[in-house]
Amino acid sequence: MDLNFTPEELAFRHEVRDWVHQNLPEDIAHKVRHALRLSKEDHQRWARILGAKGWLGWGWPRQFGGPGWNGVQKHLFEEELALACAPRVVPFGPVMVAPVIMAFGSPEQQRRFLPGIASGEVWWSQGYSEPGSGSDLASLKCRAERRGDTYVVNGQKTWTTLGQYGDWIFCLVRTSTEGKPQTGISFLLIDMKSPGITVRPIILMDGEHEVNEVWFDNVVVPAENLIGEENKGWTYAKHLLAHERTNIADVNRAKRELERLKRIAKAEGVYDDTRFRDQIALLEVDIVALEMLVLRVLSAEKAGKQSLDIAGLLKIRGSEIQQRYSELMMQAAGPLARAHIFEAMEAGWQGDLAFPGSILPLAGTFFNMRKTTIYGGSNEVQRNIVAQTVLGS
Amino acid sequence: MDFDFTDDQESLRDAVRRWVDKGFGFERRHGLAKAGGHTRAVWGELAELGLAGLVVPEAHGGMGFGAVEAMVVTEELGRGIVHAPYAAAALMSPVLLSEAPAAVQAEWLPALASGEALVVPALHERASRHRWQRVAVRARAAGEGWLLDGAKCVVPAGDEADAFIVSARHAGADDAEAGLGLFLVKRADARVVGYPTQDGARAADLHLAATPAVLLQAEGAATLARAIDVGSAAVCAEGVGLMDRLVGITVEYMNTRKQFGTTLASFQALRHRIADVKMQLELGRSMSYYATLKLGEPAAQRQRAVAQARVQLGQSLRFVGQQCIQLHGGIGCTDEYIASHCFKRLTMLELTLGDTLHHLGEVSARMQDSAGVFA
Repeated sequence: MDLNFTPEELAFRHEVRDWVHQNLPEDIAHKVRHALRLSKEDHQRWARILGAKGWLGWGWPRQFGGPGWNGVQKHLFEEELALACAPRVVPFGPVMVAPVIMAFGSPEQQRRFLPGIASGEVWWSQGYSEPGSGSDLASLKCRAERRGDTYVVNGQKTWTTLGQYGDWIFCLVRTSTEGKPQTGISFLLIDMKSPGITVRPIILMDGEHEVNEVWFDNVVVPAENLIGEENKGWTYAKHLLAHERTNIADVNRAKRELERLKRIAKAEGVYDDTRFRDQIALLEVDIVALEMLVLRVLSAEKAGKQSLDIAGLLKIRGSEIQQRYSELMMQAAGPLARAHIFEAMEAGWQGDLAFPGSILPLAGTFFNMRKTTIYGGSNEVQRNIVAQTVLGS
Repeated sequence: MDFDFTDDQESLRDAVRRWVDKGFGFERRHGLAKAGGHTRAVWGELAELGLAGLVVPEAHGGMGFGAVEAMVVTEELGRGIVHAPYAAAALMSPVLLSEAPAAVQAEWLPALASGEALVVPALHERASRHRWQRVAVRARAAGEGWLLDGAKCVVPAGDEADAFIVSARHAGADDAEAGLGLFLVKRADARVVGYPTQDGARAADLHLAATPAVLLQAEGAATLARAIDVGSAAVCAEGVGLMDRLVGITVEYMNTRKQFGTTLASFQALRHRIADVKMQLELGRSMSYYATLKLGEPAAQRQRAVAQARVQLGQSLRFVGQQCIQLHGGIGCTDEYIASHCFKRLTMLELTLGDTLHHLGEVSARMQDSAGVFA
């Protein structure tokens, strides 16, 4: 038993830290530090910087042009980026679809799609959820009919995060209605410039355009864009869900946001209020415990033990903690939390942006974070999975 | 970074587990608890396994093991619901003796390691609650030795012990750091009032009136703080073993007990509850590792880490204990069934060496700008 990283791991951490320090644009870091809106250009600029270094696909093996890091190195990389206030990498390309293409795509598909993902040139979106298929994803209805060398896609996807920027979308589509719902699903890559695709914004309760509906009206997709075999898409999607299990806890961002919470609480004069401070202390304990849980999973994976039964807990706990720190930040802002800051700024509001504990859109973040216990398999679905493991029945 | 145990540590775990399986079944525990909680015989059996001297240096007849081995043993004793004062006598007392004069160490450590002597810390006072550094017992020099006046309470296995390590003040106000000494008092020299505890063991109040004492360390605040943290890490480890046992019992019950024509395990309300129990168990286990692995750090980091761990364990012990009783239904409330014994011990553990609110106050007071496992 040893809590400490090896000297090699620490050297790796410093290499990443130095590189991020030299290459992360300060204007982007400023926005992340103060939870300001990131533009498409901000995301892409950072993705291209990482891509040029070969680190946008930081989880990729060497054979596909990735750095070939182990789980601990990936964790350290993610931590250094988060603590330096780098934007979260939009995961749909490098973290979600790329591993599926690597594992189940043809060599031709790998040559065609992976370079654009690795460089940050191509923006990918995810087409999983549908209006009638949320937690019960396997009930999805968006249909793809084989016609010669093409599929014709009809139906609707929803909650497509940043789909307004998407060049390509990976979709789960129904190719068969026979047998169990899971066995009639295929994994299809679709060019979002195809005729018949309509992207419509969904405005969330924070007033932001983060997610979309995507409509498919007789969209013709070349059959060569099918990943693997027809009707095996559910298996590939599960592979994707199993990927990056520790990252989903987002403990590194939680550590950064805890620092921000303390700055805000100090600036707003509640850090020394025992009742408020104890709430921060409780959150601090929660975050350290989550980090230990993550480290245990990483250590088990390093030792080649893949099936540590605690990995399923990470999403539940991580999302609860995200909601908690966003709530405490809002409370720390006091009555000012009620002002709609983005709108107020546009109306000429003179907030002090240089203020160390800037109270910028704290309530908005809190409202936005309600999604975290819902997406990626709601926490109730996660509890079903944990219970299955614990009870063995 | 590595959370695996060595082969030697696994062997140690197996040895304790074998003894529990063979010699400390629930009926024995139940019987001992009913008969007043006397565990000196249990202490003797643990000593025969070499466990009394687990962390005592080899030069004094111990095994010279470290914090991780202590955690492994304590976890297993927790799993066995063994109510011997193991953490107090075998883990805390050696720390409290670690700065004592060589002659005192040579007299007491070998006896402690062999199990011949049961030496327990006597640190709590009525008025100081969980603030161990607030000490009203007074010490005064008298010739070659010292005399103590005052009272200590809830001393573990107090009326079965041979000697006590008593915190007493020879200078300064009650809560001053300077002037806090550590002394050894033989049981025969003090007035000891023993009683059974809620969790099936024994404790005693200690009345000191010009009671002769041997000075271990004149300025003992730092040693005392370290001993308290070692004891707190043991609370975490014992709690983890106990929770593991109780969750296992509860899972088995859920898979066999039927109501409305089907097993309890088939009801989603109960399935979600056991998922939440599992969450608290694993967060607790994670923080128990954390506390133990931080015991060697400088005092400030060590105290912060142990307090963080105790806040997590406090929540875990309470949630797991209470919910496992609830999941059992009526049978969980009975004395004849093992679950209630686990629950009572979990509940008392949370109050041992500072409760959750106390430790939350410590975390709150020690917060820095940055936090995390390596902060």
